[in-house]
Amino acid sequence: MKNIIEIKNMSYRYPVSDDFCLKNITFSIQKGAFTAIVGNNGAGKTTLCNAIRGFVPHFYKGELAGEVIVDGKQIVDYQLGQLGEKIGYVFQNPFSQISGVKDSVFNEVAYGLENLGVPVDEIIQKVEDVLKLVNIEHLRGKNPFELSGGQRQRVALAAIIVMDPDILVIDEPTSQLDPIGTEDIFDVIRLMKERGKTVLLVEHKMDLIAEYADNILVLHEGALVMQGPVREVFSDPKYATFNIQYPHVTEVALNLIDIGVPLKFIPIRNEELPKALKMEWEENND
Amino acid sequence: MKLNPILNLHPLTKLYFSLFVTISVIIIPSYIFAFTWFPILLVIAIIAGVGKQYLDIVVKALVLLLGIVFIMQLFFYPGDQVIGEWWIFEATKEGLQYGLVLTSRVLAMGSAFILFFRITEIRDFVKALEDLGMPPMGAYIVLSTLQIIPEMRRQAHTIMEAQKTRGVETEGSLLIRAKAFIPILTPLILSSIASTEERAITLESRAFSAPTKKTSLHKLKRSNSDRTIPIVLLILMISLIIWRFFL
Ligand SMILES: Nc1ncnc2c1ncn2[C@@H]1O[C@H](COP(=O)(O)OP(=O)(O)OP(=O)(O)O)[C@@H](O)[C@H]1O
Ligand SMILES: [Mg+2]
Repeated sequence: MKNIIEIKNMSYRYPVSDDFCLKNITFSIQKGAFTAIVGNNGAGKTTLCNAIRGFVPHFYKGELAGEVIVDGKQIVDYQLGQLGEKIGYVFQNPFSQISGVKDSVFNEVAYGLENLGVPVDEIIQKVEDVLKLVNIEHLRGKNPFELSGGQRQRVALAAIIVMDPDILVIDEPTSQLDPIGTEDIFDVIRLMKERGKTVLLVEHKMDLIAEYADNILVLHEGALVMQGPVREVFSDPKYATFNIQYPHVTEVALNLIDIGVPLKFIPIRNEELPKALKMEWEENND
Repeated sequence: MKLNPILNLHPLTKLYFSLFVTISVIIIPSYIFAFTWFPILLVIAIIAGVGKQYLDIVVKALVLLLGIVFIMQLFFYPGDQVIGEWWIFEATKEGLQYGLVLTSRVLAMGSAFILFFRITEIRDFVKALEDLGMPPMGAYIVLSTLQIIPEMRRQAHTIMEAQKTRGVETEGSLLIRAKAFIPILTPLILSSIASTEERAITLESRAFSAPTKKTSLHKLKRSNSDRTIPIVLLILMISLIIWRFFL
């Protein structure tokens, strides 16, 4: 399969700071994969997203070393405006993700398509579809400034996926959402994956990562310390050394192993724990 | 409201009308002519369904100003036909004449533009300017300022509330309120600056600088009146000029 994102020995330092906040990062992402980026606060997740979207170095200057290649082309060779269609970026703070020029959610979601010069009939159709998809039809007439944090996060996601980019970079889309809202968003993201989008997601909710993502990148103090399929990373003892959360069920399983309950494999999804216990039990009773 | 024939006019038609009023009172020196405009404008406002607000704003914005202008002219305009005396001041006939001319003009122009902004959505006006070729950045600045002012007011209110719970006095005399306002400025300005950067990124993620021609869901309609009214105004204007200067 083709690598749609390729990053080679990338380091980056913000203009005013003394230290590099991304250090010698190398990885690649296949087209259509769903990759989760995890790490503690300040690990550099958002900065990495900015680098993939081209805001580093096109918007945030500073010092960039190494290569960032998107769809076969160096990021520095793109113009910032061209990347808008290719990479959709939903960023962390839902409160600043409002264009500030539209007086209703419907128009807010339509804004990106207007900028891309999409014909009006098509815009209306696409916005209708996305409002339904993200479950915000009831907010269509509301002023974007009068929404709650969770509602804004949904609008922000809708405003990006309506533009139908090949790559979605999503930075903590559920920080303001309740459990049901969070499930909704993950359903939408899964749907995007089914439609063949390449998804990069920063998220702290490991249960959901275990359920939906294909691969994980673990960032720690600016370095990419682990990468690989979700299951391999969570079952690697090295993961425990970074003090990042586990999926709840994995945490429980590791505690069980600690007190001497043997398990056939390390579960990462809830329904796997009974299975792992049962397999072990059956083996012992054969 | 959607069916109101005046509100539904194209913003430029409304603008042409206000300009017509302004220029007409400059061409025609008679203050009676200039004073006649105000009742006409008021009738238009009433038809547009905004009569009360309109009258309110005109009174608030113009009456004091007009009063001051009139009194200044009455007493200080150079002239020698004294028509009255008050303390050490003398009112002259020339002063009265000029005061009436000036106030009538200010009233006509001021109330014409107040009417314009009363019956035109800024959003529509900006769209009209964009259609005329104003760059998208200009439109963005006007519209975002418009939206962000109430947002900042809300934010200021939140910060004030927060300070009240910490025991800062925020109510009472003007002086107390002014004092309470100063400490909120720093957080308010800092947070606006911080969000400017993110706002720029937001715009960029919405393809603001995409190298294509933008489309717009917001379309301004041009009715028959929007085609005829400007022509009628132009003909009237030319007739006024001919009548004033050549007859
Ligand atoms: N605009 C900036 N200018 C200078 N330094 C910055 C800037 N943004 C982030 N940093 C620094 O870069 C480092 C990485 O920050 P980043 O925002 O990428 O972390 P993060 O992993 O996204 O954290 P969080 O989980 O809190 O969102 C931090 O040490 C931060 O202080
Ligand atoms: Mg972050």
